[in-house]
Amino acid sequence: RYREVSFGPTVEDRGVEGTRRGGKSLQKVNERLLEKNPAESLLFDVVLIATDSQQQSSRIISSTSHYGLEVGRFCFSSREDLVETLVVNNVQLFLSTDRDEALQVSQKGVLSALLGRQEAPSESLRVMLCGDAIVRPDCDPVPASRGAAQSFSARLGEMRGRFGVSGSPLSIVLVTSSGGSKSCGVALQTLRSRGLSVDEAYCLAGAPRGPILSLLRPHFLLGDGVIDLED
Amino acid sequence: MREEQLRTETEPREELRSNEAERGAYSSAEHHRVTGRRARKVEGGVFFPKPENAVTVAVSSRVLFRTELEQRVFEQKGVEEYLRYQIEHENEPFAPGPAFPFVKALETVNARLRELYPQSEELFDIVLVTYNHAHVGIRLINTINHHNLFIERFCMTGGSSPIGYLKAWQTNLYLSADADKVREALAEGIAAATMFMTEKLTEVSESQLRVAFDGDAVLFSDESERIFKAHGLDKFFQHEQDNEDTLLDHGPLKGFLEALGKLQKKFYAKGQRLDCPIRTYLVTARSAASSGIRALKTLRAWGLEIDEALFLAGAPKGPMLEKIRPHIYFDDQMFHVEGAAEMGTVAAHVPYGVAQKHNQPQKPGARK
Repeated sequence: RYREVSFGPTVEDRGVEGTRRGGKSLQKVNERLLEKNPAESLLFDVVLIATDSQQQSSRIISSTSHYGLEVGRFCFSSREDLVETLVVNNVQLFLSTDRDEALQVSQKGVLSALLGRQEAPSESLRVMLCGDAIVRPDCDPVPASRGAAQSFSARLGEMRGRFGVSGSPLSIVLVTSSGGSKSCGVALQTLRSRGLSVDEAYCLAGAPRGPILSLLRPHFLLGDGVIDLED
Repeated sequence: MREEQLRTETEPREELRSNEAERGAYSSAEHHRVTGRRARKVEGGVFFPKPENAVTVAVSSRVLFRTELEQRVFEQKGVEEYLRYQIEHENEPFAPGPAFPFVKALETVNARLRELYPQSEELFDIVLVTYNHAHVGIRLINTINHHNLFIERFCMTGGSSPIGYLKAWQTNLYLSADADKVREALAEGIAAATMFMTEKLTEVSESQLRVAFDGDAVLFSDESERIFKAHGLDKFFQHEQDNEDTLLDHGPLKGFLEALGKLQKKFYAKGQRLDCPIRTYLVTARSAASSGIRALKTLRAWGLEIDEALFLAGAPKGPMLEKIRPHIYFDDQMFHVEGAAEMGTVAAHVPYGVAQKHNQPQKPGARK
């Protein structure tokens, strides 16, 4: 009953740096969950997947231990077998810094998210959800992973519910880009009906996303498939 | 309810899409992406203006609506109970707060601007910026819908400072109940003022937005007030006379007056000077015969027009404001803010300049 979070192989220090930031906060969530209930089974389990050569792989492994990241497992796979590897390992969320890779994986039905590029000042794990696909599922560019997205929201909501309003090691942030306040309200209600209560909500209604994103500094961005970090 | 809401959201899009299909201009997927980014154009004008083109007014939930009851729950029982209460009462809209008439008047101006300039993004854009938790979001959105407000953008920061978001939205004016947040905004160069709930509220115009400003430490710097406080009235008059031809430095609300002036000119350009739905007032303790001249010269040099200048020569402002009936009046001194409120004028405090050291509210109960 573990929630499996897998970090993608997007190579080199950029991948590991993102991993380090997200990873530390993620570890903190696990720690706090276990503090509350030493028998807790709803935890993050991190799998690092490397698809490059042996040399890259060993470099990645030594980097992660250098950064003090508790990665439970390492998997070596080829690029072609990436999705299969994820499925076989029952991965519920695949993280990457490469937008195209994340998109490809989610098109095959495994939920993907982008790692935030900016240094997140907060210790708490900030997970950002893009509400546009929630409100208009028929316009979802990656319908294949919709089921995975829904069950992930539910599990995330369960996890978030273990903590109180303040001082939580996990924060859920909702952003809607193109609809008005009514559609953001619909997104909030939809998520709540799945068991996920959101901490922060931003309704942009067409305003440029970049300035807001640089303030939000999410660790993980679960999105609409067309999110552009350069925005 | 969800189904209906989804339908309303998608309806205008369907119309647009079928038109495009006839013209063969875009594929529907491309069209969707494009309209997602562009300012949305619906019959009658622009509803999602780009922040850099619009005059952005950010309001907090505590000044837009009345939330005293909920505030008490928060103070007495803590945040968890407060949020539970809010969710329980989700379908009960809040009552209008002190900023409500002002926001309604901004929308009236927008309606007139859209009639004259349907493609223009130079409109008021009202953004709800609150450090409330998103659990209160549904109740706030229900309230916005209930009162038919056009507020399509918001930030619910769940406890962290909203100041960064004010800058990201290119905010021209920020109204809040929290004086600390207002001071933070002023320090970042954003026009801001603290608002308070009053029991007495005189009726204001529904067709014309009226904004009144104090002069020193609001439109202008607090230079002259410093002289007055340090050396008294005589020295103040002497200083003003000696410096009659020197411009005063600008104050925190100068930019907002400028933004109002720009919109006014759009009405003048269409021959609607007499019927302009925006009117501005200077209400100052300066006197017309002497110290007032420097104020007028400064405004003129800045290229700013003010519709009416009222020089009170030290007389109380309350009665004059009661005659003007502005939707909002900005002053740096709590004494005047309270005096205005007593007579039913919505007054907002600008915590700027030397007067703050001497600011003691006369009646703590009048504070929100």
